[in-house]
Amino acid sequence: MAAMGRREFFKSSIGAAAALSAVSTRRSVASTDKVILGVMGVGGRGTQLAGWFAQMPDVEVAYLCDVNERRFDRALEMVETSQGKTPELVKDFRRILDDKNVDVLVNATLDHWHALGSILACQAGKDVYVEKPLSHCIWEGRKMIEAARKYERVVQVGTQTRSSAYVQKGIEYIKAGNLGEIHLVRVNNFMEKPGRKKGPVEPVPDGLDWDMWCGPAPLVPYSPGQWWMDLWDFSTGSIANEIVHQLDLARMLVGIGYPTSVYQAGGVHFFHDGREIPDTQLATFEFGDLTLMMEAAIWTPYIKKIPHSIRDSDNFPNWPFTSTKVEICGSEGMMNFGRQGGGWQAYDKHGELVHSEPGRQGDPDHLRNFIDCVRERKTPAADMEEGHISTLFCHLANISYRVGHRKLKFDPQSHTFVGDEEANRFLKRDYRQPWVVPDKV
Amino acid sequence: MRRSLFFILGILTVYEISYAQWLGISGVTASLEKTELGGPRIVIEYDLHEDEITPESPAYVFVRFSKDSGATWSLIPHNYLSGQGSPIVESGGHKGILWWGIEETGFPSIDQIQFQVRGIRMVRIPAGEFTMKSTPGGGYDSKRIGNRVSSLPGFYMAKCETAVSMYADYLNEVGGNGAGWNSQMSDTLRCGIEQTGSSPAYSYKVMPGRENYPVTFVSWYDAVAFLDWCGLHLPSEAQWEKAYRGGRFLEGDSLKQQPNPLPERKFPWGNESPGEGEVFRCNGRGEEDGFAHTAPVESFPEYSSTYGICDLAGNVAEWTIDWYTTTYHVDLDGIRMVRGGSWRSFPSGLDAISGATSLPLRESGIMGFRGAFEF
Repeated sequence: MAAMGRREFFKSSIGAAAALSAVSTRRSVASTDKVILGVMGVGGRGTQLAGWFAQMPDVEVAYLCDVNERRFDRALEMVETSQGKTPELVKDFRRILDDKNVDVLVNATLDHWHALGSILACQAGKDVYVEKPLSHCIWEGRKMIEAARKYERVVQVGTQTRSSAYVQKGIEYIKAGNLGEIHLVRVNNFMEKPGRKKGPVEPVPDGLDWDMWCGPAPLVPYSPGQWWMDLWDFSTGSIANEIVHQLDLARMLVGIGYPTSVYQAGGVHFFHDGREIPDTQLATFEFGDLTLMMEAAIWTPYIKKIPHSIRDSDNFPNWPFTSTKVEICGSEGMMNFGRQGGGWQAYDKHGELVHSEPGRQGDPDHLRNFIDCVRERKTPAADMEEGHISTLFCHLANISYRVGHRKLKFDPQSHTFVGDEEANRFLKRDYRQPWVVPDKV
Repeated sequence: MRRSLFFILGILTVYEISYAQWLGISGVTASLEKTELGGPRIVIEYDLHEDEITPESPAYVFVRFSKDSGATWSLIPHNYLSGQGSPIVESGGHKGILWWGIEETGFPSIDQIQFQVRGIRMVRIPAGEFTMKSTPGGGYDSKRIGNRVSSLPGFYMAKCETAVSMYADYLNEVGGNGAGWNSQMSDTLRCGIEQTGSSPAYSYKVMPGRENYPVTFVSWYDAVAFLDWCGLHLPSEAQWEKAYRGGRFLEGDSLKQQPNPLPERKFPWGNESPGEGEVFRCNGRGEEDGFAHTAPVESFPEYSSTYGICDLAGNVAEWTIDWYTTTYHVDLDGIRMVRGGSWRSFPSGLDAISGATSLPLRESGIMGFRGAFEF
């Protein structure tokens, strides 16, 4: 993948949209057949996805998978009442991959399972819907792309706002020059998260396969509490898990691809709970004459996600206090863009509101796009490479932090840091046997 | 079918209500008394026809009144009432309630007041310590951490999950425009309330045989609204867990010398798995326990908690009042905690520790609720 400026990338990504259609060797799903899928990981998001897919008349959820059997009941009820058929419950996702009748694996696991689960699914001939952030480290993100391309799989990443109609309208507005020359993009994510609360070490509870839960990550003693979210071994971090959506959106809007440098400031400023991953992050990425600023914190109670009453309406949020937004700053105007619906609004150089475009959340269209692409063997809206690039921003920011807030230069061609061996050590993580992402996929 | 007597002052009206889980209350009368110094008061009397009302398993009695011939109804707040007839009633028989301050309620005429007196069977949980969030063999608590030993003041909890019949009765008062109703409630395997008519005059009836089943497809907001209607509230997680396991001392403290033999039990009945030895102790996943979907409340009476509360494990997962997360989910508040597992849960999901999180708007065939009360 060659390094390229943003305008070149923009043109290139449009060209790639049609490329997949000729290459798949897998049987197409007949128009009368249902797309059969299995869901790996039925936590909150996985259950939501399972329910939505089960409501689609041309989809059948055949499997629900989780290493913790306590999670099954809610997902099972949702799927069965939606599709009128009971899925099989399994604790090992490989049962799904072994079933020749299954077309798709939906991977809604924790970050440290995204890569291996998706790669194995590609190898087994399944298309994949994988939640964001795509990968747990830069190297495995590339391996995921390699696997998808090698096995000619349709892989959609869960950056669902890509499929919202108001995003395209934003792109057209910007491309038409209404904001002038774009030189600054600010990507925000502010939230109020609870602190980590790790319980004492306890015996592994009944019904939980702890070894598999840890999977590629180190096998640690079991403790209750959601302590894993901000540890490098298990997660890309609370900030990355959210801001990847806005980064993806920002890239779409202004047409930027691989960053070539990063500088991160911030750290663990607020929480004193043993976390490793920053709770405050400011990172800059350079694209020639455009700078992208990533600004995030997870201890800001006064800044809220877009209210649910606004997300799918013709109203707009209170922008200064909106948690998940992108600001596009041009020489002639600026745009506030909401990630969870909420639409976008553009202002002229005098600060006057000149255009408002209401938004709708992208989930239904995103899932529909994926299923259609599975049938038609086309590149979906959030192809794996797009997901990889957007996730890359988060990895770069994290690595800049881990090497002591150093400005790093990144070569997209080789996917390495230029002249920085310490940073390069963070490209790939260690894997615990047997859950190893292979060099050769 | 039980009958309840409504009394418009001076006029007796017999009113049949099709509810099953309300306690047997009849002979409701009301009269106005003027006191020499205290102003007027209404004396409400009724007969409570239940044999097993005790201080440990009392009735919770609440009164709703109407001053516009039944068009609208309101709950009489407990702090306006006195007498042994409400809110906690510790024995059956003839009871009296005194309603003070009626001049402030603006009745056009005292003769136009109608009353509804209802009762719910409760269980008393004494104040004292209990073991929270830990079981032998491993407790799974993915969302919360707490001290192993906690303490609560005394409170009361409904013996049973809120039943279809009770909720239908509630809907017939408040649900004329559809509020509180979910079309999936007509599913006879999971709920069993039918809606007829049209807005603003919908009416609701219990489908045959469904009276004693737990109501489902209720959001957290629906549950809170129903319990507000009764003058109750959702239990906190701590209250729920103490009800499930029992206190360290069943009668509150060590002085009464009733130690809980299993203060860290995994299940309300002890540590045996729900289906151990082919004996089924609650309604969980599968049909071997006799129920493919929800079961009538109190279907496993011999496996209740130490206090005699039924179905804390299985049947329907129960909303609590507690939040899991912060308020950054604006206008939907935070995610709520749900406890107890349901008729779909594996045994591991039915234990003292397991909990689920849910957005408060979720309405599901596996979720219900019960009420709690404290002075």
